[in-house]
Amino acid sequence: MPFFNDSDELGTVMRELWVTIADDSSISSPLLSSKLIVRFHYKEPDGQITIDCSDGENMVIEWGDCEKQPVVEMFMQADVAHKFWMGQVNVPMYLLNGKMVAKGPVNKALALLPAIKPAFKKYPSVVRTTLNRDL
Amino acid sequence: MKLNSFIFNCPTRVMFAEQESASIASYAEDLGIIKPLLVSDRGLVENDVLRPVIESLTDSGIPYETFYDVPPDSDIDCVNKAAEFAREKECNSIIAVGGGSVLDTAKVVNLCLNQGSDLLANQGLNILHEKLSPFIALPTTAGTGSEVSFVAAIKDLSEKRKLVFGSRFLAPDLAILDPTLLLSLPGKLTAATGMDALTHAIESLACSVTQSPLTEIISIEAMRLLFEHLPRATRNGDDLDARAGTLVASTMAGIAFTNSGVGIIHALAHATGALFKTHHGLTNAIFLPHGMRFNKQESCQVFARAARSLGYADRQNDDTACDILIGKVEELMESISIPPRLRTIGVPAMEGELLEHWSELVLEDPSIMFNPRYATTEDVIDLYKRAY
Ligand SMILES: [Fe+2]
Repeated sequence: MPFFNDSDELGTVMRELWVTIADDSSISSPLLSSKLIVRFHYKEPDGQITIDCSDGENMVIEWGDCEKQPVVEMFMQADVAHKFWMGQVNVPMYLLNGKMVAKGPVNKALALLPAIKPAFKKYPSVVRTTLNRDL
Repeated sequence: MKLNSFIFNCPTRVMFAEQESASIASYAEDLGIIKPLLVSDRGLVENDVLRPVIESLTDSGIPYETFYDVPPDSDIDCVNKAAEFAREKECNSIIAVGGGSVLDTAKVVNLCLNQGSDLLANQGLNILHEKLSPFIALPTTAGTGSEVSFVAAIKDLSEKRKLVFGSRFLAPDLAILDPTLLLSLPGKLTAATGMDALTHAIESLACSVTQSPLTEIISIEAMRLLFEHLPRATRNGDDLDARAGTLVASTMAGIAFTNSGVGIIHALAHATGALFKTHHGLTNAIFLPHGMRFNKQESCQVFARAARSLGYADRQNDDTACDILIGKVEELMESISIPPRLRTIGVPAMEGELLEHWSELVLEDPSIMFNPRYATTEDVIDLYKRAY
């Protein structure tokens, strides 16, 4: 059974998670200095979120349709995203077996993975506050 | 020992035989090749390396078009020109005869023929979902493993970066391994490309989260063939058995690394090559012993298994067996006259902003993600200093 019951749940969690990341400069500053616009596309339930770091100072987070042209796009099942934020995804393996698809100049985006890892700790409490569900 | 989850693909049929390139037409019908684009480079054409392929196609009445303008380090312009030409001439398939640059170019041309010409929109990992046009690869070097790998890298001259394409659908349908195609390869290039293959084998062995018993056994056998045949092929280019050994080894190492990844040594070599245009295989070779030592704390067991399986170690503990293997790599390098230092291949003494920029390139190279040991900026700078 998928972790997220519908797109609303997925959107609520992802938005809140990225707002939490944006508020923590120790995590957000390396992402901002990349100046990338990254879009994550999710399936089952469907949804997309765009993280715009292009001005280098503020992270703009948009859930759903968004006109911005992303530099890098990542495609995955929503359950893969859930597992990723739980710290349970072996990213190299998922890139080899195709469970994660990366479109665009992947170098810069993949290089940010170590920077993003501290956010894994924040994920359970984001899920608890938004969905009232313990992990 | 707990096994990793793994996935293993080898979508490419591999045919090995001396003179097999002269029978290429016999594979055409089976693969649906009606009118291929023959992709190669000028040097190979001048050395008459393509003759058996051309004769076979001509004798069988298979019409073909030619694109021989692939440069040593291929770029977007070259791919676009070749793809446009293939479209104009209504080619339905590709036959590529060459080293890594030719084979990578052919892969991306095939991508363009099927997905449209916007290369920037098609770069990335796993974005293809279906088979491309029929594609035969005939390697003329024993190094890159591109004839079986799922990746291709093409230079974007305007942005001074490489576009990376990765998908199992990029792999050729058939790789014809004909060691006679390697006979004109000079000793220096034989040595350097062979060390690229050895680096693929050793790094794929070390990729602790993605390697599998399948890639391990293939890597170790590739190493065995290279340790045995590379010195001979380098010393005497006409030694067909040695050519065959290195060629099969490089394909095996290609199968191994495309299924498990490469690591920090390739990341170091990619960054160094991007800034100073050093030869990929040579640069890998110089970083190889240093990278193995860096990874030793994570890879000691697997390196020791390889050393024992190759007959270099017996009852020594893992630590000693691992050191023996690294020593064997250094001996091999010496025996084929690979310079041990970066400074002798044109890499300058780096410091300040240049060193910082170089280390950023190393750390953002996708290969580093597969490395068993996490590397910091200080680590890669230390590796540079050791190799310099
Ligand atoms: Fe390589």
